[in-house]
Amino acid sequence: MGLRDILIGRSSVKPPAARERLFALSTAYVTLETSYEITSTGVAGIVVQALATSDFLAVLKDTEEVVKATAVEFKATIETTDDEFGFHWVIVRDPGIEDLVATISGVSSSIEAGGYGERILCAVFAFKGAGGAPINFIYNYKRGSWYPFVPAPGDKQRNTERELQLKAQIGNELPIEPELERWFPLWGVPF
Amino acid sequence: MASKRSAFGRDGGLQARMGLTLFLLGLLYAALVGALIAASASAVIIVAIAVGLFFVQVVGSDKIALATLGAHEVSASDEPQLHAVIERLCIQADLPKPRVAVIESRMPNACALGRSQKSATVCATRGLLRLLDDPAELESVMAHELTHVINRDVMVMTIASFFATIAALIIRFAFFFGGGFGGGDRNEAEAIEVVILVSVAVYAISFLLLRALSRYREFAADRGSAILTGRPSALASALIKISGTIERIPRNDLRTAEGMSAFFIVPARAKNSLMNLFADHPPLEKRLAALSRLEAQLQGTGR
Repeated sequence: MGLRDILIGRSSVKPPAARERLFALSTAYVTLETSYEITSTGVAGIVVQALATSDFLAVLKDTEEVVKATAVEFKATIETTDDEFGFHWVIVRDPGIEDLVATISGVSSSIEAGGYGERILCAVFAFKGAGGAPINFIYNYKRGSWYPFVPAPGDKQRNTERELQLKAQIGNELPIEPELERWFPLWGVPF
Repeated sequence: MASKRSAFGRDGGLQARMGLTLFLLGLLYAALVGALIAASASAVIIVAIAVGLFFVQVVGSDKIALATLGAHEVSASDEPQLHAVIERLCIQADLPKPRVAVIESRMPNACALGRSQKSATVCATRGLLRLLDDPAELESVMAHELTHVINRDVMVMTIASFFATIAALIIRFAFFFGGGFGGGDRNEAEAIEVVILVSVAVYAISFLLLRALSRYREFAADRGSAILTGRPSALASALIKISGTIERIPRNDLRTAEGMSAFFIVPARAKNSLMNLFADHPPLEKRLAALSRLEAQLQGTGR
């Protein structure tokens, strides 16, 4: 945002960053699995800020159809749901991490092609650690960066220590968000 | 911009009015500086004081305001819903997470403080959290406050009022020292008289311009909220609820809050002020009209 935008108070919403970094998860997963016994649960979701307009709903519907058609090759299944904050989720299930990443990428590029790329917030990939504890990796579309999000027992608690460990473990292979104050938790993930 | 259909139209009118207001303020301040240079010597002291005040304001104003408002910072486990709403907005706005504070007051209102994005605090009153049970409404009010942070409104208004502060100081000095705070010969006395007259004019006109600027920045924040959430009507609905509730709250509560009015999303007054020219917030009807234009643009039925 430039000085001129600040002076006249002009707002805009940032469109998604280039998407290559989303695919970094496919290669990083090899290390996660072999070195740290962190395995995919085969579920990922993409969070979109829903607009109540006919045009936006049409784009979402097209997206779902396009992705369902291509997902047949991957054996992926797609479902959609809305959460308590009024955000729209497209949830993909596929045992293979590469197919999962590719399908999520397909969802976001279809929404972008419809002209609503700026409404995509992030994608969440669910994993589990050695003891079966949940671990999420979140991809922030605006910044094109990843961060770990590990919920802890209790109401809306997170395990920051584990998250920082994960950053050290996988930071060389996955582009991790450098600013910790942007490691936003995502509560109410519907999977 | 990548988005073709979802984009709202540009509000060239609002931006032009804001630009014009800033230009007029600059012009006015240039006149004051010119007069000060003409009077030289004694003016330097006043400018030095003003610069000192300015730094105190820039560095400390948010802490002073937070203390005055009785705001206390809340953690994510204290107010999970409020934090969750703000976190999602921060992802969308690409902002670092601000501090979150709550004011224990029945009056529903919200405000944003802090000179930069990193040092920002957003506050909601207890009354607001109770009133807006629909997360979309709370989200739109918080998006309005975050837009103030994005637009750096506290900084812009502090800088914009810098010379108005100098003018006010000069008037006060003149009042205390009976107009003659320098000196000896006749020429200098005349020069000082000119400075004082210019200061009075600058102060009066800049007061009106600053109020206008504040109103425009409120409109810009409403617009920013609509663009950020994609839900202009949720903000409209929240504004109607907030101002309706404020009018029903006993006047005693209001009077204590009135001094801090400029910080809030809706002014803490029972009635809209008599003269819109002096108001720091635009009237509700105008804000609702602007939001309904945005909703029409979004639905593709507007201009």
